[in-house]
Amino acid sequence: MNKFEAVNWNAPEADYTELLWTQNTSQFWLDTEIPISKDLKSWAKLSHNEKLTFMRVLGGLTLLDTEQGNVGMPMIAQHVADKQKKAILIFQAAMEEIHAKSYSTIFTTVASSEMINDTFEWVKEDKHLQYKTSRIDSYYKNIQDGGNLSLYQAMVASVFLESFLFYSGFFYPLYLAGQGKMVASGEIIKLIVRDESVHGVFVGLLAQEAFQQLNGAEQEAASRFVQDLLNDLYKNELEYTEKLYDPIGLTHEVKKYIRYNANKALMNLGLEPVFEEEEVNPVVLNGIRTQTTTHDFFSTKGQGYQKGKVEPLHDEDFELLNRRVLESNKLGI
Amino acid sequence: MSMQLSNWIQLNNEIMVLKDGKYQFEKDREAARSYFVDYVNQNTVFFHDLREKIDYLIEHDYYEQELFDKYSFAEVKKLYEMVYQKKFRFPSFMSAFKFYNNYAMKTNDGTKFLERYEDRIAVVSLFLGNGDMKKAMEYAELFISQEYQPATPTFLNAGKKRRGELVSCFLLEIDDSMNSIGFAINSALQLSKIGGGVSLSLSKIRAADEQIKGLDGKASGVLPVMKLFEDCFSYANQLGQRDGSGVVYLNIFHADIHEFLDTKKINSDEKIRIKTLSLGVVAPNKFFELVEKDKDMYLFYPHTVYKEYGMHMDDMDITAMYDELVNNPNVRKKRVVARDLIIKIAQIQMESGYPYLMFVDNANEYHALKEIGRVKFSNLCSEIAQLSEVSSINDYGEEDVINRDISCNLGSLNIVNVMQNKRMKETVHRSMDALTEVSDRSDISIVPSVAKANRELHSVGLGAMNLHGFLALNKIAYESKEAIDFVRTFFMMLNFYSLERSMLIAKERGETFKDFEKSEYANGAYFERYMNTDYSPRTEKVAALFEGMDIPTHEDWVRLKEQVAQYGVYHAYRLAIAPTGSISYLQSSTASIAPITQKIEEREYGDSKTIYPMPFLNEDNFFYYKEAYDMDMFNLIDLVAEVQVHIDQAISTILYVKDDLTTRDLAMYYIYAQKKGLKTLYYTRTRKRTIDECVSCVV
Repeated sequence: MNKFEAVNWNAPEADYTELLWTQNTSQFWLDTEIPISKDLKSWAKLSHNEKLTFMRVLGGLTLLDTEQGNVGMPMIAQHVADKQKKAILIFQAAMEEIHAKSYSTIFTTVASSEMINDTFEWVKEDKHLQYKTSRIDSYYKNIQDGGNLSLYQAMVASVFLESFLFYSGFFYPLYLAGQGKMVASGEIIKLIVRDESVHGVFVGLLAQEAFQQLNGAEQEAASRFVQDLLNDLYKNELEYTEKLYDPIGLTHEVKKYIRYNANKALMNLGLEPVFEEEEVNPVVLNGIRTQTTTHDFFSTKGQGYQKGKVEPLHDEDFELLNRRVLESNKLGI
Repeated sequence: MSMQLSNWIQLNNEIMVLKDGKYQFEKDREAARSYFVDYVNQNTVFFHDLREKIDYLIEHDYYEQELFDKYSFAEVKKLYEMVYQKKFRFPSFMSAFKFYNNYAMKTNDGTKFLERYEDRIAVVSLFLGNGDMKKAMEYAELFISQEYQPATPTFLNAGKKRRGELVSCFLLEIDDSMNSIGFAINSALQLSKIGGGVSLSLSKIRAADEQIKGLDGKASGVLPVMKLFEDCFSYANQLGQRDGSGVVYLNIFHADIHEFLDTKKINSDEKIRIKTLSLGVVAPNKFFELVEKDKDMYLFYPHTVYKEYGMHMDDMDITAMYDELVNNPNVRKKRVVARDLIIKIAQIQMESGYPYLMFVDNANEYHALKEIGRVKFSNLCSEIAQLSEVSSINDYGEEDVINRDISCNLGSLNIVNVMQNKRMKETVHRSMDALTEVSDRSDISIVPSVAKANRELHSVGLGAMNLHGFLALNKIAYESKEAIDFVRTFFMMLNFYSLERSMLIAKERGETFKDFEKSEYANGAYFERYMNTDYSPRTEKVAALFEGMDIPTHEDWVRLKEQVAQYGVYHAYRLAIAPTGSISYLQSSTASIAPITQKIEEREYGDSKTIYPMPFLNEDNFFYYKEAYDMDMFNLIDLVAEVQVHIDQAISTILYVKDDLTTRDLAMYYIYAQKKGLKTLYYTRTRKRTIDECVSCVV
């Protein structure tokens, strides 16, 4: 009979699991923490085309996050052996659901019901969006028990989704926020970017380990697979971008950004970048530096706050404090 | 249609694109230039000459007619010419952008500029001069040389026909009655409408589960009141410009303290979550004593305290009364562990940045007006520490008893320019005059308690900014003994000259603040530390910085003490160190006396995003611009404590911590700050390490 094992966090599985668990949980957030209603005034000033683009990129992102939360992360988690890694993946899946919901929170706050319904209709009908989702989905659903290559393929698909395909959508809210428009929504997108960058790194590490498990022939097939999938998704992404961004004249900028992130996705997989380095729009680039930015405390929440580590005070702390007070006062400082 | 990114934002963001491994600082000047050439100049209304401009602006209700009636046109022209001749240029995109985006007067439809920086300075100077041409010229010189900067509401509004108030900071006490809560809500709405930040003390409000009209368990406590205020502030949004800002303070011995803090927890229920309202905790020294001894502490139900003593809990010296309250069986109480509570505060600060802390006993111990009233809470930026008294708001037909709440008008010296121009006495005197003018001409009649306090106390708050900029420019490390040595002398001088000017105004007008004779200024107790301690520089390096400046000596202090006793003092409160947000950008300054947070700041403001290298930043001083997160916060507290000695109100002090810090570390900072005599701590900022940093050490 099968023996069931409990997850044991006292015995590290890899030197990075604990770290990534902590990183993931410490950046936990909820969409309701961000006062999106502040964007109402900014929203009213956007043109029709700008609004439409905004709704659609967010609609597209909602679909991808839904896929990732409902299928991608749980499927991969099912087939990863280590229990701590499973735990991290499931936590990440939960965050994907929060991401998916947060777009709706933005919609509900700023847009009319008709506009929201139209957007979700559009998501169902848009060929390019449906294509990339179904392509990724096929690898998630194809994972075989004990099939290392199929698991590797699913992980690659996941990294492409998280580190590459999201970014045609992230571009627009980051671009707007960089100019002081839709700043609260931008804040949410930045929190999502912060999460996705960790997810991409983690699944990328798992993929690299999975790759090591493959035999020579499988490795060769795997490498070909990565190239083919990238090329196919890249082509689809260019067309998707043209359709979304032509009406507001940003297509060119977004395409550069897509290539930039494709390179990042490859690096997460431990592979060499394939696209030439280009100058990405600095406003958007500065938007995704995932350090704490200086923010006006009264205006936005900032990405800097997180769950704290609790540790009690000790009696010897007071000896130290009292000694320091005495010494600093004695010095006259 | 195309949505091209503007050239100046592009250039400004290019600072961060490394070229030969270096940031491209020169891009910032290009950005500032592009912003002028491509945007400001193109969008400024053109006038042939000054007269046409001023006539137009008066005629179309932009400027106040009465203001210009006080001067001849020749005088006005002379002042404008003097300001323009200084050939001021903004050294960075950020400073230019801040001015034109936030301060410059625009046409009614908001599309064209009507003022340049020089114009705004001229108008503010004429306004503050109030018909005195000599004074107006002095103010203009002070502003264009960037030695003193009035706070935003004054600088933004002075001289305009349609304008908000000149003061922006209000503190209101709330009594434990429905009338008073309703009155406070109305006041909060009114003050938000005119652009004020409002602080409210909730400590008198009865706790959840207390009696109402003698019926047990009927009261709902402070939480629903907080919710009401939160909604007020988001409703009153200054013509849509920016939501109102508010903070609520609660005494740590109030029975609702846990619920109060839980409103900011990440995982709290939507019903009780407070999103946009700021929180502050008022902590008497008794609390810290219980923490140190690891004792349990009692929280008190304030209504039972009031019924028993006829006095509100927060009007008492709780540290002195604690044992009495504990031993009185009629005072309802509950027991908690003191150390758990301080850890909880630390935990919630890490999650949300809040609460602010006020060390209320420190504020009352170093309080020259202690015989006149008690300091009970602070404001939205935690630099205000003044006495207040609750008003009684009665039913219709019955007279209200209006007592004193708090308003404050602020301004800051730019330390770099003050030290460079070496006329600190004149600078501080003029700055005090400018603040006094604002106080004299403010009458917040919609909130009578605020108007009354302003009438009787004439409080102002002069502060300083660009400390870290000054230190870096002179190659002094922020955490060094020279830095401490510098602030010790500088802020002693600020105190001396501001007090001297306050005395001179009292002498000129024959008027002091109300009850001056009961203050420690009158009986001389205030001067004790200056009689016994020499605050002149102790290191050669710092002595050299003050070369060519007169540092007040022991004899000067003795003389001032006598003059104060003879003529009195005009301002009940003079000094407060504000955090200086927008105005430090205008001045191309580091904020307040705080350390910088980033050598190159990426500033997210509600309405813009820009890259801002610290003032004077270059390869040479890169090292001296150590970032706050890399500093030891104990050193920061030591420096602030040294400044606090000379500041009659408080100092807005932010703690900067890395994310590997625990609640224990943070609690130790609070305790240290309390022991070192700080009056307040503002919020705590965390720098999250990036994932690259995390994984790169392991993988």
